[in-house]
Amino acid sequence: MTKKELQRKRLEKFIQERDMLHTMIQAFTQSPTAEDQLYAGLTKVYVDHHNEIIRCVEEGKPFIASYFACAPEIYTAMDLPWYTFLTPAFTGALSPTLEDEIDASEKLFGKDLCTILRIAGYYIDEDLAPLPTAIIGLLHPCDGTTVLHQIIESNENWRKVPQFACDPPYWEDERSIDYYVGELKRMVSFLEEHTGHRLDMDRLREVIEVSNKEYELWIEYNELRRAIPCPHGYGVGMQAFGVVASYLAGDPRGIDWLKILIGDAEKLVREKRGKVPNERIRLFWFDVVSLGWSFDLFPWLEQEWGAVIVMDMFGYTPYTLIDTSSEDAMFRGLAKRALFDVPMIRQARGVADNFLADIRRVVKDYKINCVVWPGHMGHKDGSANIGMMRETCREIGVPFLHIGLDLFDKRYTAIDEIKDKFSQFFTAMGLG
Amino acid sequence: METKVKSKAMQEFSEAAKTLVNPVVQDWRKQGGKVVGYFCSYVPEEIITAAGFLPFRMRATGSTGTELADAYLSSINCSFTRHCFNMGLRGEYGFVEGVIWPSTCDHVRRIYDNWKRKVETPFVHIMSLPKKTEEPQVGWYRDEMVNLKEALEKHFGVKITDERLWEAIRLHNETRRLQRQLYELRKRKNPPITGAETLAVMVAGTAMPKEQYNQLLKELLDEISQLEGNIDYRARLMIVGGILDDPAYIEVIESQGGLVVTDMTCFGTKIMWKDVDEGAGDPLTALAQYYIADRPSCARMFGDYPRRADFVRDMIREFKVDGIIGERLIFCDLWTVEHYMLDKDLKAEGIPYLKLDREYLLGGIGQLRTRVQAFLETMRR
Repeated sequence: MTKKELQRKRLEKFIQERDMLHTMIQAFTQSPTAEDQLYAGLTKVYVDHHNEIIRCVEEGKPFIASYFACAPEIYTAMDLPWYTFLTPAFTGALSPTLEDEIDASEKLFGKDLCTILRIAGYYIDEDLAPLPTAIIGLLHPCDGTTVLHQIIESNENWRKVPQFACDPPYWEDERSIDYYVGELKRMVSFLEEHTGHRLDMDRLREVIEVSNKEYELWIEYNELRRAIPCPHGYGVGMQAFGVVASYLAGDPRGIDWLKILIGDAEKLVREKRGKVPNERIRLFWFDVVSLGWSFDLFPWLEQEWGAVIVMDMFGYTPYTLIDTSSEDAMFRGLAKRALFDVPMIRQARGVADNFLADIRRVVKDYKINCVVWPGHMGHKDGSANIGMMRETCREIGVPFLHIGLDLFDKRYTAIDEIKDKFSQFFTAMGLG
Repeated sequence: METKVKSKAMQEFSEAAKTLVNPVVQDWRKQGGKVVGYFCSYVPEEIITAAGFLPFRMRATGSTGTELADAYLSSINCSFTRHCFNMGLRGEYGFVEGVIWPSTCDHVRRIYDNWKRKVETPFVHIMSLPKKTEEPQVGWYRDEMVNLKEALEKHFGVKITDERLWEAIRLHNETRRLQRQLYELRKRKNPPITGAETLAVMVAGTAMPKEQYNQLLKELLDEISQLEGNIDYRARLMIVGGILDDPAYIEVIESQGGLVVTDMTCFGTKIMWKDVDEGAGDPLTALAQYYIADRPSCARMFGDYPRRADFVRDMIREFKVDGIIGERLIFCDLWTVEHYMLDKDLKAEGIPYLKLDREYLLGGIGQLRTRVQAFLETMRR
């Protein structure tokens, strides 16, 4: 395969995905609902990012592959285009080839590695993703994420790409922050060396100030979700995380998007209108609200049971603002945010108490009347918490349901079986 | 596949490997000695020894079920952790005064959280284990060792001096040196000891006071180095994987004619192929350097795969290995990917590689035999 053919192969999926997202924008734009307008705005951001990466590939400009949890404010400040390994997590559910890709990845890595990581590994192994200038890996919150970076060694082209990952400590103390600051600084040096982009501290300050504003708006939005009835359900509000902590981290467009989101939620709260006309169950979905289940299970929960996902794992965070008074303060703030704030990382990285504290807090703050641990097949550390989570729920008097499913492969547990579990649970607990 | 190893030393090692509380541990406790358990080979045993306690590697030998643990863990948690925790809940780990974990993998680190809530072990401690093997990580882990040392001192009212640490390091290095001598004998064309017997010797090393173990191992080495190895085998195999503590598993492989001559596992070469530097200025720095950077690393260690793969290649060359069996506990993500990569790389170099998934308790023996048979046949052995 010539260099040009290989480049085309690597971009093929990316371009398909971009085109699919583009079609979605058109559909959203034609819809009159505020929610669809918000989706349109968000999808446009993803399209812009895809275009930016495609342009970098075609023009030979540097870009990186990374994650949402590696202080993306730094990428913004360095004006460094990036894409995430886990793009399929956001869009894969819409892909007509998703199941084929899952099956192909299973041939490489077996059945029990997290499906989304398996697909990402398959893309790398088969050279189906844009080859970046450098890679910033992620070594938490789970083993699967860590080993995804080993897979990079298995492809002769990818293994030549320089790679760095910050080592996450297990604790939440000053010593851990100091250590992680050192790791972040080494990450910056690595990026400067391999991409030629520089980190300017004044620019970083500007970006963090915008990011702080995004976090403030995120808090404000989530305060509105406390209302009874909850103004939004499983839909667009759950994307706030993606805006604040991913592609629009430190980008003023994120502020604009969040203001529209808040405006819509505020209006609904004032009018006492909920996502579901007759909200009967306020549910804490303790995992990712995946797109894959957004077309059947989540609407069914709302329509059949009046069960609204009021909060999920990715919506609830300490929303810590960063002190921008000095370089040291900024790095310490970024380290804290990357370790202690970023959803899923925050809960799963360290001791199980983080999971249990979330349950107590979310149940109280959001007047939750049932906690659901979906039990995604890849979330092994969390699944070793089910006894502790159940006991915590018992202590605070809220029912707990553990399902056992795959957030990305709907063949793992049949939809009817999941619905049946919910129905039995709601009935037994006298909910709905 | 049987050897002539019938000595008292071998019997004691076998007994220690196939029982949880072996007679030596019982004697130690009768004499008032304390036992401190540890999960995973990244816990610095030397610090436990320096505290005057017996370091005991946690395993679930003799477990028959997971009925109690299943209320706390899910079906996607590995069977090693489910069996260990079940034994903890059943009170079968009442003989340890403490248990130490590193934050090693998703399954084991969560056993810490469950254990501290549900099992009445007086001392529990978890260490933050880095996922890289560079200088900052050595420094971080040294501090974790300081924390462990201070926690042991505070809880048990002991003093762990540098002098005691150096003594422990020398003692454990002696163990490693003797274990390497044992492996050296396996390089012979006709090794005097089987892979199953070797695993029993290695497991025993994590369940006995080191002085006693070293003495027994010397006796064993004296005996078998004189033996004319006469084991019949069809192929020389290497086992690669994580926690494999059951010699019966190797026995099944060897019953088909595949002699296991070396390994890269957590009860094998990983824990003894290198020594702690006795010439370093500070014992904890020497230990941190050894555990994080010097010895063959775990599959969880980012960026170190090339070094691990090279280690396997060195083993293949030194021990004249014909093929590799990669074993993995089901649901272990770390070894899923490590085996995938090793398989791909080594097959490209002409080294046959068989990937086997297993549960912690030996089962499916018929299937295991068939797979090994077929593997040997594909190797034309």
